[in-house]
Order: sequence, then C-alpha cells, then structure tokens
Amino acid sequence: MSETITGSEAGGVAPPASGPWPIELDDVTVRYPNGVVALKNVSLSIAAGEMVAVVGLSGSGKSTMIRTVNGLVQPTGGRVTVGPHAVSELRGRALREARGDIGMIFQAFNLADRASVFHNALVGRFAHMPTWRTMLGLASAEDRDMVMRSLDSVGMLEKVWHRAGALSGGQKQRVAIARALSQEPAVMLADEPVASLDPPTAHAVMADLEDINASRGLTVLVNLHLMDLARQYTTRMIGLRAGEVVFDGPAATATDADFEAIYGRPVQARDRLGE
Amino acid sequence: MTALAVRAPIAPPRPRRLAVRIASWTVAAVVVGAFVGLDIEWDKLADLPGDLVHYGSLMFSDPDWSMLPEALRQTWRSVSMAWLGALLGVVLSTMLGIPAAEGVGPLWLRLPLRGLFAIIRAVPEVVIAIIILTVTGLTPFTGALALAIGGIGTHAKWTYETVESAPGGAVEAVRAGGGGLLATIRWGLWPVISPELASLALYRFEINVRTSAILGLIGVGGIGDMLTTYTQHRQWDTVGVLIIVVIVVTMTIDAVSGAIRRRIMEGAKVRGVDRSS
Amino acid sequence: MTGASSLATAERVARIPARPRTWPRTLGVVGVLAVLTALTATPALGGVEIDLGAIAKNWTNGADRIAQMLTPDLSVLPRTWQPLLETLQMAVVGAAISAALAIPLSMWAARPTNPRTPTRMAVRFVLNMIRAVPDLVYATILVAMVGVGALPGVITLVLFDVGIVVKLVSEAIDSADSAYMEAGRAAGGTQTQINRLTALPQTWPAYVSQVLYSLELNVRISAILGLVGAGGIGRLIDEMRGFYRYDALSTIVLEILIVVVFIELASNILRKRLR
Repeated sequence: MSETITGSEAGGVAPPASGPWPIELDDVTVRYPNGVVALKNVSLSIAAGEMVAVVGLSGSGKSTMIRTVNGLVQPTGGRVTVGPHAVSELRGRALREARGDIGMIFQAFNLADRASVFHNALVGRFAHMPTWRTMLGLASAEDRDMVMRSLDSVGMLEKVWHRAGALSGGQKQRVAIARALSQEPAVMLADEPVASLDPPTAHAVMADLEDINASRGLTVLVNLHLMDLARQYTTRMIGLRAGEVVFDGPAATATDADFEAIYGRPVQARDRLGE
Repeated sequence: MTALAVRAPIAPPRPRRLAVRIASWTVAAVVVGAFVGLDIEWDKLADLPGDLVHYGSLMFSDPDWSMLPEALRQTWRSVSMAWLGALLGVVLSTMLGIPAAEGVGPLWLRLPLRGLFAIIRAVPEVVIAIIILTVTGLTPFTGALALAIGGIGTHAKWTYETVESAPGGAVEAVRAGGGGLLATIRWGLWPVISPELASLALYRFEINVRTSAILGLIGVGGIGDMLTTYTQHRQWDTVGVLIIVVIVVTMTIDAVSGAIRRRIMEGAKVRGVDRSS
Repeated sequence: MTGASSLATAERVARIPARPRTWPRTLGVVGVLAVLTALTATPALGGVEIDLGAIAKNWTNGADRIAQMLTPDLSVLPRTWQPLLETLQMAVVGAAISAALAIPLSMWAARPTNPRTPTRMAVRFVLNMIRAVPDLVYATILVAMVGVGALPGVITLVLFDVGIVVKLVSEAIDSADSAYMEAGRAAGGTQTQINRLTALPQTWPAYVSQVLYSLELNVRISAILGLVGAGGIGRLIDEMRGFYRYDALSTIVLEILIVVVFIELASNILRKRLR
C-alpha cells in the first residue's frame, strides 16, 4: 500500500484511501455569515490511528469542528489537512474525492427513509462511482460487494432490501456506519452518533466505532457530550468550550473537575449515559 | 482492511414483488399503447424546434407595439370578467357551500347540494358559457356569469371542506350558548374560517384570470378573443404582443394575489387543507 | 349607599379595555373591493356591462337549453368512441412525456436538490412563465403552427402538466426533511448522484401523486382542446354545439364525467398503495 494519492484516475474513479491518516487543524477559525464565531483559532494535531473524543456542550463548536475536517463547513481562517488532502483549500471535484476518503456518521442517521438499506449504503460508493452508473442505478460488482461486506460487518446484511425507514434507531445508525465503511475511508468522523439512541444501543454503536478503530486502524474522531462514553471508549479527549480548546489529554484519566472546566458548570446526572 | 477482503458475504436475494411488476408492466403497456395508437406524425416533431424558432422570431423579434393599447384594453376586460366572476362565484359558493358542510346543514340539504357541485365540476366552463350566451349574448357579461357559475363546482367544494376541517370548539360553544343555525355560522364558524375563505377567494380570482382568456376563444371578448382572432389571421407580430401582455399580467396578478394570501393566512393561523399554493 | 354603588359601577365600566379599532382596516378592505368592483363593472372604462335586462328577457332560452341537456341523447354514443379514445391517448401521452421531463426539472427547481440559486431561480422563472399562459392559448397558437390534429393538443398538455407537476413536486421537496443530503455530500457525492439515488426515492410518492392528478386534469382539458382543432372529443363538442344538439352535448359531458371519476378512483387506490 503506497502512501501517494494520485487524485483522479481515468474515468473519474478515485482509488481507495490507503490509511490511516493524521488530521491537522492549524489556527482554524469559523465565522458564520450571521456573525457567530463557532471556532476560534483552533490548532490540533491528531495522529494516524488515534481514537479521539471531542467533548463539549451543544453550541461549543464541536459540530462545526468535525465538519471542517471533511469540508462540509469551510473555515474562514486557518488550514485543515487530512492525510494528503489540504481539505480547507479544496473545491469541487477535488473536495469530493477527499470526502470520499473520509467517512462520517450523524446524530440523526441522515438516511433516505424511502430508499432501501442497500441504496443508502451505496451512497458511500459515490466517490468511487462514475456518474452514469449512478444515473442508471447500476452498481458495479465491486461496489455491490463492498456494500454487502460493509453491511455484513455491522450485522445488517439480512435487512439489505428493507426500507431504511422501517428500521429501529440502532439499526439505522448501523446502516449509516455501513454507508461510511463502504467508502473504504482512512478517517471516520462521527457527530454525536449515539445522542438519539437508548443506552444499550448507544454502547453497541460506540463498540462498533471502537472496533473500526482497533481492527481496521482508522483514525476516529467522535463528538460526544457524555463524559462516561468518552472515558470508556476513547484514548484521547479534546474539550471544546465556546469555540476554543480548553482540554486536551488522555480520556481515561480525565477527572470530573476537567469535565466541569469543559462544561463551565458542575457535572450533572445528564452528563452520564449510565449502563 | 484485511478483515474486509476475506470473504464476500452471501446477500439475501433481492425481493421481486409480483404486484409491483404487474403494475409497472401495465403502466408501460398503456403508455406505449397510447403512443402507438395516437394518430400523430411524430416526424413532425423534428420540425418543431425549427418551427418554434421561426414563429418565435415572427412573434417576438419585432412585435407590433402599436397594438399595445388595444391589448391592454382587452386585458382589462378579461380581468374585469375574472373579478366579477370571482366575486359572484365566491358569494354563491359561500352561501351554498356552508350549508353543504357536515355538521352545519342537514343531510337532505347536503346531498343535493354536493351533487349539484359535482355536476357543475364536470361541465367545462366553455360549455357553461355556450348555454349562458343564449341568454346574454356574446358579451363579457356572459363570460363573467360563466366564470361565476362554473366556479361554484370547485369553489363550493373547497368551502365545505374548509368548514369541515375547521376546529369545532367555537361552533360547540355557540351551540351550547343556545344559538341557532345562523347564529352558529355567524359567531362560531365565520371567525374561524373567514381567513382561509378570503385566501381561497383570491385564488379563485387568479384561476379566473386564466380561464377568462380561454372563454375569449368562443367570442365573449377580452384578450383571449383578440388572441384567437389575430392567430387565425396569422398576424404574428400582434400575437407576440398579446402573449407578452398575457404573461406579464398573469404573473403580476399571481405575485400580488399570492403575497396578499400569504399575509391573510399568516395573520390567522387556521389549520386546514392548503390548496391555496 | 346608592351613590357609592353607582360610583363603583362607573369605575368598573371605565376599566373595560377599549375595543381595538379594527373598523378602519375593515372599511379600507371593503372600500378597495367596492372600488375594484365598480371599475370592472363600468363599460365606459372597458369593463363588463352588467345587463340584468337580458336575463329577465331571455332566461327562457337558457332554461330550454338546460332542459334539453337534461334529456341526454344516447344515440350519439357510438360516434364518441373514437374521439374519446383519442382524448384518453392524448391524456396518457401528455402525462407520460411531462412526467419524464418533470423529474430533472423538479430537482432543479427545489432548494435541497439544487443549492445553486441562479439556476434554481432561472428554472422557476421559466416555469412560472409557462404556467402564466392559459392552456387553450397554447393550443390555438400551436394549431396555427403545426396544423390541426392531436400533436398540438399533446404539446399543450405537456406544457400545462410540466408547469403544475414541477411546481407541486418541487414544493414537496422543499418542505420535506432532507438531512440525507448531508450524508451524500459527506461521502463525496455530486448533487446529481445524491438526487438520483436518495432524493428520487424520497420524492417518489409526491411525484406519482401529481402525475396522476395531471392525468385527470388532462382528460378534462382535452375535452375542450378540440374546440380549437387540437384533437380529442372537444372536436365533437364543437360540432354538436354548431348543430345546437344540446342533448348530444350533455351525453358527451356525461361520458367525460364518468371517465374522470373512474381515473380519480383508480389514482386514489394507487396513491394509497404508495404510502
């Protein structure tokens, strides 16, 4: 597996990423058109293969930060680099190819409810599929295999032809993970992946992410607002408050006092998921 | 990565639902049958882009703007027909539509009224105009009457649907206070439904603006009448002016009326079926 | 004591809040309506001459016509089959062509599926213009252009259908939840890929419902298209009107009613199935 990425090959099909990749944020600032500054001069360096939690209350800027990593939000200042991609400088096709190497899962799953599980997971092959194939709805044998294997790895293969809207919350998030895995990504982002799930399902999804990090070696960056999940599943924790990094250290040994500094208030029962 | 490459899992076969297949094939067959059965020289379609450019340039390259005053006069006549038709139609529809609503009028009144609306809906406005012109002649008045009567079919239906979808609390309160049918309508129903009815009335006017141009084709006057005449005489430079006038006037009326309707509906958040957009 | 109580009453009356003055607004609205009505009813200004005298004098003519229509002459039926079939064929072909055109156009006209404001506005503007021209005006001009027959009728129906289907479907896309878009974007998909694979199945029910509605309207419209020579059963209506055969006219109207009701029932069943 070589480290070089050639950008685009003939036919507009990007090769799978050879990961894992490091993530670099260099003095990143995001100011929204309405004047709100969501991120203030954030600099971070995440090594390849790390499993990192970003902790903060809602409005702390963690959602914005994770979106700068795949360019869904473009920073108004600073530089974001993921492996070989200078994401913050990319536009159009180059940006789409970079995104193809970065998987992402969302709090609300973001599935097309009326489409089948297969077609939702096939979304993960977009960057690898020529547009004419998508237009005809024809997946190549490799795309199909990739999707089936991803669904199998999250235990959703038998639901492959079900409608996404008919699944439970936990199943939906698994399909969303399969969608991201179908990309064959080098980096996995997760924006509050368990906030819409009940505690047992939440633990199962976090365990899936842990497994993706451990067995596939992907760099994982996950937004959380619950302290116990961060401690249990991640190795490093970054605390965000009002758009600034206020904590950066090992997750397992982070004290309640550290969390109080991140939250800016005493720790409450709702900051823990429990079992 | 290695874990992924080990095996290709056996996916369950994609289900093929027979009913869906039959339905798709039926639809396909009907469409193909219609295409084949239709007596159209489809090769004419190849000339169409050329025709469009040709006639388009005849109409719009040098429109005869000296016809503009007459076009505007005829447009005003059409809009007048549409307005009076809407006014009369809405008044009639409201008077007939409210008693036809469930919970307001008795069954022996509701059924015949609804039947009447259904019959009117089935008759094209043009046919209604053909009947009316034996009374009032080929005049704009005929057009206005045709729009009013033709409008009852759909508008009275919308009216009773609005009444039925209105929250019933106010009506019950007036009933409980001992109010009769008219009192119930005036004090229980009217305040709740009047914003939506006003919005629908404006929408009726918008529809009538388009329909009045159609009625012009049978000779009751207005912009449609003028358009038919000049098209039949193939005076394309005038037709161009008329089309521009129709588009500008219709879009302007739609925009103004739409803005007023939005204000009415925002002013009073009445729940109900939104047909108004 | 009476003095004191009357004072109390007066005080209470004084505390009733002043009734808000809505009458100026009401008066304004009524005034505008009255002036508009007066203007449109003034023949000297080009308005409509309201001739109640004619109604009083000639109402029996109308009553005769209605009486004739109430006794439909069924002997005309055999002559109606061919034009009725043509009407149905025109309706189906018009709906089918416009359905095909409406798929990309609705996607271009809605914000989630086409985030580019200039192209979206351009598509919407052109469609507003198409909708501003009444159907029979298209038919009249097209008959003059391509000659008498079903072709101008079909083109008219296509223009009309595209106008309404695209408007209603794009509004449905605008108002529906479109979080799945973000997932497609995060996976590196182009807008076209996202629209084809996820937005299309999401929009399908609204789309099919509107196409069926347009089919129903087509039958109604093509009943009158024949008046200007654009094919279908309207030709027969025009002929019967020319011969003052009102009893035959009502038979045709009745026939159209039955067909429309049948289509309405069939499409209601289809719509329910699609939910």
